[in-house]
Amino acid sequence: MRRSADGPPRRTRRGVTDFQIKLITLAGLLLLWEALSRLGYISPLVLPRPTRLATTLWDLSVYGFPKDITVWLHIRATLWRIVQGYLLAAVFAIPCGLIIGRYYLLERGTNPIITFARSVATISLLPLAIAWFGVSELSRVLLIMYGAFWAILTNTIQGARSVDVNLINAGRMFAATRGRIFFRVILPATLPRIFAGLKIALGISFMVIIAVEMIGTVEGLGALIQQARFFYKSDMAIDGTIFIGILGLILSLLLDWVERLTLPWAVGLEEVKR
Amino acid sequence: MSRGDLKVEVAHVSKQFNGEDPAHGLALSDVSFGVRTNEFVAIVGRSGCGKSTMLNIIAGLLDPSEGEVLINGKPVKGPGLDRGMVFQHASLFPWLTAIENIEFGPRNLGVPRERRRLLAQGLIELVRLKGFEGKYPRELSGGMQQRVAIARAMAMDPEILLMDEPFGALDQLTREDMQRELLRIWEGHKKTVLFVTHSIIEAVYLADRVLVFAPHPGCIRKEFSIGLPRPRQKSSTEFMRYYEEIYEAIG
Repeated sequence: MRRSADGPPRRTRRGVTDFQIKLITLAGLLLLWEALSRLGYISPLVLPRPTRLATTLWDLSVYGFPKDITVWLHIRATLWRIVQGYLLAAVFAIPCGLIIGRYYLLERGTNPIITFARSVATISLLPLAIAWFGVSELSRVLLIMYGAFWAILTNTIQGARSVDVNLINAGRMFAATRGRIFFRVILPATLPRIFAGLKIALGISFMVIIAVEMIGTVEGLGALIQQARFFYKSDMAIDGTIFIGILGLILSLLLDWVERLTLPWAVGLEEVKR
Repeated sequence: MSRGDLKVEVAHVSKQFNGEDPAHGLALSDVSFGVRTNEFVAIVGRSGCGKSTMLNIIAGLLDPSEGEVLINGKPVKGPGLDRGMVFQHASLFPWLTAIENIEFGPRNLGVPRERRRLLAQGLIELVRLKGFEGKYPRELSGGMQQRVAIARAMAMDPEILLMDEPFGALDQLTREDMQRELLRIWEGHKKTVLFVTHSIIEAVYLADRVLVFAPHPGCIRKEFSIGLPRPRQKSSTEFMRYYEEIYEAIG
């Protein structure tokens, strides 16, 4: 039987867990990097050594950059913008997608518009957003929403459109009203695709947020990286990037967890049995 | 047989599917037959002979282009509580456990939680699935899924069970088990059964009467009353004679 990703820790003959192997590998790479840097093979201007990144991180979390805006405040600002834009996108895209996907004419009619809107790179709308809403939080949140919206919408439409007709017939045979068929058959049948859309949208949100934070604000990880660039502080830019990665990883894991909780019937069979 | 005895009456039903050319789009042409109360009727025929279309029209899932279907003398206007359906591929709701699938209908009717749980427990026992109540459909074998599907249909306590090739996707041994199970349930809870299949053996084994459908356009070619006592022996000479006659009728 195949072992699921988060099954019991696998132990090798020497009693080392999978997690320990990953940790040792990472530590080894960092050590190698540090050593090459100290021996002069890597210029600290091009790639600062790990210990330098660590001390910069300490400065960032205690004193902040610009002064008093600590890395935690940057993270909070970025996270808050993503949460607002992403949730707004989900709240509008899921109901719209379910309805469009269930009405053939609506789906055919909106199809070119949606394909067009989805193909427009969100960042190219930045000047327009600034013209309409100024260099403001609203502009930033709306751009994240725009980027996330289409991914969730198109996936929800696809899911709603391809619900097994026999399941709908079963709903009709077993006394479900139109409303119940919508909420108890079409919605749950579409959920796996909705989650697929939500995952893609999360990635898009991260691309959009960093770009929109590079303009007109000093708060946020994107702003931190931009500021670091102005002052040629590559160690700070790298620290900011690492945090973006960690934040993205945590949010993805959170989404996976919500999915497993919501769709115990759709995830791997072994996990269901446990 | 007088009109009053008929549970289901199909009267001059034709079905033309939209958008297809008339030569091939005519799925059913002027089909008429009746099913008596508690009778077990099987419909056999090649693929494309309109037998599933016929069942869906009786179910109320499709409207006939011409003619009408009467249940207890009243015309069918859509799905109703007097009919329960067992679909070809079980078509269980994958997000509901076995017992929740069985409770789906009663829940829509507003049966209180305790009562529908009790009802579903009884049906789980009827279809011999004790211990599998909490399993999701994908964790069940094909045969078990069809047992749940039968229990789900029985949960509405319909007068008529409509079955659309329910055992078609099962392996031979499971299929024979399910045929015996179905007869046991049918004999215990008198129901009128309309059973669509492409297996002649299955039809002769199960049914009181076998309707042979022919394609292009779909119509009844011949009708057989199976005068054999149950349980029927599939290897008996009488059984084989019915098999050969029906085989010939299908052509």
